[in-house]
Amino acid sequence: MLIILGGLFALAIGAGFVGAMSGLGGGVFIVPGLVLLAGMPMHVAIGASLISVVATSAGASVAFVRDGWTNVRLAMILECATVTGALTGAYLAGVIPARVLEGLFAAMMLQSAYFGIRKHGEDLLAQSDRLASWLHLGGELPAESGTPVHYGVVNVPAGASLMVIAGLMSGLLGVGAGALKVAAMDYFMRLPLKVSSATSNFMIGVTAGAGAIVFLVRGDVATTVAAPVALGVTAGALLGSRILPRANVQALRYMFVAILLLIAVEMGWRALAGI
Amino acid sequence: MARISRNLNPSSSDSRLGEEDRILRVWTPVVLRTVLVAAVVLLLAGLIATAIQAPGYYVNRFHAVQHSAETQARENLPALLRDAFAGDPRGIMTIGLVTLTLVPLARVAFTFILFLREGDHTYVVATAYVLIALIAGVVLGRIG
Repeated sequence: MLIILGGLFALAIGAGFVGAMSGLGGGVFIVPGLVLLAGMPMHVAIGASLISVVATSAGASVAFVRDGWTNVRLAMILECATVTGALTGAYLAGVIPARVLEGLFAAMMLQSAYFGIRKHGEDLLAQSDRLASWLHLGGELPAESGTPVHYGVVNVPAGASLMVIAGLMSGLLGVGAGALKVAAMDYFMRLPLKVSSATSNFMIGVTAGAGAIVFLVRGDVATTVAAPVALGVTAGALLGSRILPRANVQALRYMFVAILLLIAVEMGWRALAGI
Repeated sequence: MARISRNLNPSSSDSRLGEEDRILRVWTPVVLRTVLVAAVVLLLAGLIATAIQAPGYYVNRFHAVQHSAETQARENLPALLRDAFAGDPRGIMTIGLVTLTLVPLARVAFTFILFLREGDHTYVVATAYVLIALIAGVVLGRIG
């Protein structure tokens, strides 16, 4: 029992750590880890992953919200979109065959990798557009040196539309869909990258939570697997969120993309070979 | 634009917004951490109890899940919850998992109450929608 537990813990701590550091959520790494390394069926991996992703989000958010990186108001608005998608996805995951899910997962990882290497808008907007102003979505970057820097938010409807898709992927595949969330906020809504990352991490809790509730009530969460994985992920996420503020974001990004591509190829091959 | 004019003419609605943001920033981490710690304690207790009382059972169950077809690994949630109150280690772990799932629900419920108290109607509607959606997940899980 200790060997199995040790293996699951190691897998989960690594996934939680990388998930928090990259803002992708631990799911992109937990699901393939459980399927490819622990030999778990896809549905069991998704159920355990969804619960763990809730833990990653909560663990990392404690530090991000306290330090002022998370835009809580924006998260509240966009969560309306993600939960809608997540519930639909989680319901569909119960009826879609594992092979199709594995194929979709591989595609989702490629998309994550693409968003990982794509160029980012670095310049901050001074002002929000009308809708974002009305919702008071603008915020301030934590003052690391001197006065806090104000940033504006634009294109809320476009961002929210992408969030519905992110939610759908989350419920369907057991991931946080953080890459898509970060891309929507960073690219379309023009938020600073670290704010996008922290806010995505925060929202992932609600997105994955909605899916996790469906899986849990349906009985698709295997306690023996989910309990140690959730614990390991929580530990890994806490560690990751402590180190993130000091990390070299760009160097990390290329590393994550390389890992994602490798796993995507492996999952895609499984789906095609029909194992 | 709103932000700039706000800075020039501080009014009562602005100080309300600032106060809301302060409460969110201070108390959201507290809510998250409290429920998370409770869940972790339950999960740890359940795992340790399993390791002491029934390690063989854990290994068997693990392999059964590993080799199960898509839906055969399904758990009976109400039965597991009943067992938990009888001190069954796997039941305790299940309560830990349920608690963990409740972390986002607790956080949204907290912000809903905050916005309701402050009379911030737009955000009352937004958080109410998310709350209802999370609760609707229970219904979807039953019919799924």
